[in-house]
Amino acid sequence: MDILNQLQRQYTDFTALLYREGFVDDNFTQVQKLQDESSPDFVVEVVSLFFEDCEKLVNNMAEALEQQDVDFKQVDSHVHQLKGSSSSMGAARIKNVCIAFKTFCEAQNREGCLRCLQQVNHENTQLKTNLQALFTLERQIVANGGSIPVMQ
Amino acid sequence: MTLVLRFQIRLSYGRATFAPRTSSEQPRSIPQFRGLRVILADDDALNRTVTKKLLEKLGCEVTAVSSGFECLSALSSAENSVRLVVLDIQMPEMDGFEVATRIRKVRSRSWPLIIAVTASAEDNVWERCLQMGMNGMIRKPVLLQGMADELQRVLQRVGEGL
Repeated sequence: MDILNQLQRQYTDFTALLYREGFVDDNFTQVQKLQDESSPDFVVEVVSLFFEDCEKLVNNMAEALEQQDVDFKQVDSHVHQLKGSSSSMGAARIKNVCIAFKTFCEAQNREGCLRCLQQVNHENTQLKTNLQALFTLERQIVANGGSIPVMQ
Repeated sequence: MTLVLRFQIRLSYGRATFAPRTSSEQPRSIPQFRGLRVILADDDALNRTVTKKLLEKLGCEVTAVSSGFECLSALSSAENSVRLVVLDIQMPEMDGFEVATRIRKVRSRSWPLIIAVTASAEDNVWERCLQMGMNGMIRKPVLLQGMADELQRVLQRVGEGL
């Protein structure tokens, strides 16, 4: 009983931290709520899709920004896409970087864009680590016969 | 005569309390949406996955496609049974407006119903949607309550014969 309580407590605290620090927002809660018996791995699927999307877009943006003549419209459309998927998934920090990123695209500011790209990379890595930790906790809770605390 | 249309996009903010998962956690499918056949068109895999699941949670039967072309072909092969098309406006190649225009060329204004999904915050998007013969609009990110509300509103208007 003790270890289960501990794990659940850890999970609750960690989740609260993720929301508090703005790593995830309500849309992530929605994704979690959409998971059910007919799609028990829904959250992991969505999260995996997101990181695939993100990495692909980051590569495209990096390539576009390396060009002699940067096509800012192209970069902007990638940012727009990333903004959309990060928003749907509830990856709040990444979404917020995208908002700033868009401004730099519109201003055709290469340096600003590159800084934002770096930030996206950084946030992406952090989020991945955090969500992996979250999923690990979930698995441990279930393995110990418990149920995962749900955010209201 | 001017039509004044108001629609609310409600944002739901979570309250940070915790409770053990119970069976009442799952949102129940709403009777009028149960079995509603929907075609969902969105070129982004993640958005498509989330919106599809959301619609299924509401009880709909969803066919998800990734382009305007696929949407039109799915619609023509499904014949009469598709009641609603949920359409991302910003798709490459053929955008949502074009798809709606083509649908309305062959079908009536009330069938299938078309709901646009847009990331745009511009005011005139709704006007444009109306002009293209769309019945509803929802802004991204798509939330369960927002979709349920807009679906209900759109279905009700049809019922009123408007």
